[in-house]
Amino acid sequence: MKRIIRIELLKIRSNGTFWTLTGIYFLILLTIFFSGKFFLDFLAKQEESISNIVDPSRIPIYEFPDVWHNLTCVAGFLKFILAIYVIISITNEVSYGTLRQNIMNGLSRWDFLVSKLFLVFLLSLASAIFVLLAGFVLGFLYSGTRDLHDIITYMEFIPAYMLQVSAYLLFALFIGVLIKRTGLAMGLLFLYTLIIEPIIVLRIKTEWIKGLLPLKAINNLIRLPFKKYILREVQDYIAWDDLIIVCIYIIILTLAIYLILRKRDL
Amino acid sequence: MKNVLIINNISKNYGRIKAVRNLSLDIPEGSVFGILGPNGSGKTTTLGIILDVINATSGTYEWFSNYKKKENRQKIGSTLETPAFYPYMTGVQNLKIVADTKNIGYDNIDNVLREVGLAERKDYKYRTYSLGMKQRLAVASALLCDPQVMVLDEPTNGLDPQGIAEIRDVIKKASGKGKTVILASHLLDEVQKVCTHFAVLNFGQIIYYGEVNDVSGEKQVVEVGSEDTGRLEKIINKYSGVLKYEKEDEKIVVTLDTDKSVSDLSKFLFDNNIMPTHLVVQKKSLEQQFLDILNGSK
Repeated sequence: MKRIIRIELLKIRSNGTFWTLTGIYFLILLTIFFSGKFFLDFLAKQEESISNIVDPSRIPIYEFPDVWHNLTCVAGFLKFILAIYVIISITNEVSYGTLRQNIMNGLSRWDFLVSKLFLVFLLSLASAIFVLLAGFVLGFLYSGTRDLHDIITYMEFIPAYMLQVSAYLLFALFIGVLIKRTGLAMGLLFLYTLIIEPIIVLRIKTEWIKGLLPLKAINNLIRLPFKKYILREVQDYIAWDDLIIVCIYIIILTLAIYLILRKRDL
Repeated sequence: MKNVLIINNISKNYGRIKAVRNLSLDIPEGSVFGILGPNGSGKTTTLGIILDVINATSGTYEWFSNYKKKENRQKIGSTLETPAFYPYMTGVQNLKIVADTKNIGYDNIDNVLREVGLAERKDYKYRTYSLGMKQRLAVASALLCDPQVMVLDEPTNGLDPQGIAEIRDVIKKASGKGKTVILASHLLDEVQKVCTHFAVLNFGQIIYYGEVNDVSGEKQVVEVGSEDTGRLEKIINKYSGVLKYEKEDEKIVVTLDTDKSVSDLSKFLFDNNIMPTHLVVQKKSLEQQFLDILNGSK
């Protein structure tokens, strides 16, 4: 296990694309997180229709414990940047011939899959830790409460967020293994994320069936929190059934990737 | 002699194309085994199957008389088709990954890089390497685990004559240490110089199998000429050691039986009062035989 992790770390360490993409990702996250306050102040001056209901500049987005739900939900929209790296990583292994060579040298197909699962785990862990730190900093800067109970109440959103990112990256890994070509795989991932699944969602009438679609299921883990600021009811907790569906997807995707590697001529 | 690899009736179909058909082969321990064949004859597919990266349609194979696939692959140094490494990593970093996949330490990396003549460029990125250097790194990675068996697919592809000679020395050295080398090649000269055994593949089938010495020590072909060709022909016709002969211009080309040598023939001619004016032994190269074998299979 240690050896398999070391292999993936060696592959990452000297890879310029990895550092560029993750650098851009964390920079964007940072910018968005810290500009939330300025954005709301800006809205307060611009949008009269909204300010009739509520003054945007007074929306407590960084208030403990809501900050955990808000940040994880916003960060969730950027996970596609990490997915790009996952796709590049796996499709390059195919085009360099190194997937085949790794197996010939003595990795089992399962070992190889584990090394890529480790990549998925590492990226989502880094992202979750970043969101956690940002939550503390922003909460202590802007929140009106320092009460320990308030601070930790919604903190389960952090591990749930990590699971959400992992599941999406695993989905990207699956597409990468399936399609093998970098450009095509990225194209399909975005086509599916932005067009194909949204259209299917529109076509389906029953709510619970919508929730069975992979990306819908992954996104359902953390629901949009912002409607609560216009006094609508939102799901501000992690639901067990959402959690179970995502875990089932993680198992299915892992097995599907393994089966493809097993059956295909490398 | 023990066999390191027994291939049993392997076939591989790509749709309707039969890349390998019912191929069976034993690789003796300590041999340098050449697999010869024209492009598309199934050499790489066969190697891919025995290295577990191509699934055979049917048939079995067995390394070291056990079925521990992963552990066996860790003991085999192999290359397949073109060298496969991470372009953004240096030679050394690439070999570290190879070492980790083989579950061995990094101690041997400098040694093998020196052995293939890459020591000076070891800290350069792989993408800056010439084709010849890439090929050398592939051979270095095959040597890394001090393997019992090396499987090399066209290891001298893209190398200059000096590089070819160096790789040949590497193979001979490995063989001298008792290692088994399986070598796919279409360079017959290469096979003749380093191999102890060889098989010829065509259309996914083995059409010839034997030891290299058998082939070079096969029937000899001699050109004989004399002042009276008609009489010469009659005499040669009587000689029991002649398999066949044919007239070419004023000369007669004689194929001798395996147990007869050229001196036997000339003695026979002298005894029959013929003084040859022309006596040349045609050296039959492996290349000629290879072509003969291929033609004979059609």
